[in-house]
Amino acid sequence: MTYETIGKEFIELLGLKGSPVAVKLVRTPADVPAGYEKMVKKERHCQFVQDARLKGVTGYATRAEHLCKGGAAVMGIEPSPDLVADGTTYQKLGNFKTIEGAVETVHAIPKLDETYYASVYAPLDKAEFEPDVVVFVVTPRQALRLSQAYLHTSGGRISSDYSGIQSLCADAVVAVKQRGVPNMTLGCNGSRKYSGIAEDEVILGFPPKELGAMVEALKAFKQKWG
Amino acid sequence: MVKTVKALGIRAPNAGILAANVLRSLEDPKEEVRFIVNPGAETGMDAVARRYGYSMEVSRLEKDLEIRMVPSGKTMEEIDVTGETCPGPVLIVGERLSALAVGERLKVKSASADTLADITAAITASGSRILGEGTEGDRHVITVEKDEKKEMPQGNLSVANRDRVLIVQSNGTGNAERAYATFIFSKVAVSMGKKVTIFLLMDGVSIARKGSAAGVKHPAFPPLDQLMDEMVKAGVTMYACENSAAFRGISEKDLAFGVKLAGAATYIQLLSDPTYAVVNF
Repeated sequence: MTYETIGKEFIELLGLKGSPVAVKLVRTPADVPAGYEKMVKKERHCQFVQDARLKGVTGYATRAEHLCKGGAAVMGIEPSPDLVADGTTYQKLGNFKTIEGAVETVHAIPKLDETYYASVYAPLDKAEFEPDVVVFVVTPRQALRLSQAYLHTSGGRISSDYSGIQSLCADAVVAVKQRGVPNMTLGCNGSRKYSGIAEDEVILGFPPKELGAMVEALKAFKQKWG
Repeated sequence: MVKTVKALGIRAPNAGILAANVLRSLEDPKEEVRFIVNPGAETGMDAVARRYGYSMEVSRLEKDLEIRMVPSGKTMEEIDVTGETCPGPVLIVGERLSALAVGERLKVKSASADTLADITAAITASGSRILGEGTEGDRHVITVEKDEKKEMPQGNLSVANRDRVLIVQSNGTGNAERAYATFIFSKVAVSMGKKVTIFLLMDGVSIARKGSAAGVKHPAFPPLDQLMDEMVKAGVTMYACENSAAFRGISEKDLAFGVKLAGAATYIQLLSDPTYAVVNF
């Protein structure tokens, strides 16, 4: 099954608003997929995801195009700003009562040790590259179906972890890329404010290799449950 | 291959659920997985490892825990460098390590503890870790885990405490003034609270030959062998270059009390350490 087919099937089977979004991190300019242009507007990673999801925008963003330095940093696109790395930013923003709590959280946020040149985005059905992660912005009911679809073949449970900061970047992309398993996250103040993640939407990241079986599971659910 | 999964901030039992999903989704069933977790999160992960056919080891990192899950029956690579001379063992082990992925382990054996000390210097300088050392029969053994060198923040270089002194002696007993200076400067450095290492190389290794320092005398100073003995007892580390010694027919059994053979890697590592001030005689 191609990503074009998989993407379209997800939209239809779940009744998604917009598309699942293919995200890839590339190490050098030569690794940018052919035909992909640099994003015109400087935005945050979560905005690039939403633009791909809702407007069909494709393209890539280097350090210069990423407005959220914390998000770009966890994805290895630029060094973490000192005040983000030492927790000061998040304590000042009011997320944590103590600097120790901020440090504990910043230490635990998934982050890539390797350096990357850019992040690449496309709606899954239009992706002309092998994504690292596919991001879904969905309602809780659609998240339920995605979770059930992931577990349909082998069973088990899903463990999701997040901290309310660096959501679509660290939780939905980095954690999934590093671990090779899905993660769900609830957004962060930045993504809720700037990228238009709706009140009734949550975010999930999935490894691409799981998607084919998940589509088949959704079809089985549809037959069984309507 | 070894996959590293950082799962900090995730408590038990969720860390175990995550671990189960990671193990189930591996494309290579022989792949090892290192989970980096907070202390306490390992509860229940042993059951997950057993369920999916892995053995589990727990080791403490600076603040976190490393939970290593190894497919049952998988054995560690081994290499025996007995009989190789400097810099052979370092090069052989370095080449083998370069083929490993971060997190993979290698057991290195040698009949010579000094050779393993030299390899240890080279390995730690390259960023990898020594997980353990011991003996197996007549072989000394170290277990190495491949890691990448972490760049020291630029600021740290300028603030490194240079509280150690490396004295490099390359003239030997043929130049009494330089030979004396080696140990007199050592004495001064020790009195200043510095940790001193003397590295004898080229002609300098003549000082290391048992009895040869006794022949170096000057009316204004005690015999050189007395000064040398005093420094060894004061905790000064004294190395003789393995190759320079071999060139001059000096073997381990010919060495004066307190002198150990060391290879090129040990010397380079000492020179590269910013906490050492280096003095040449």
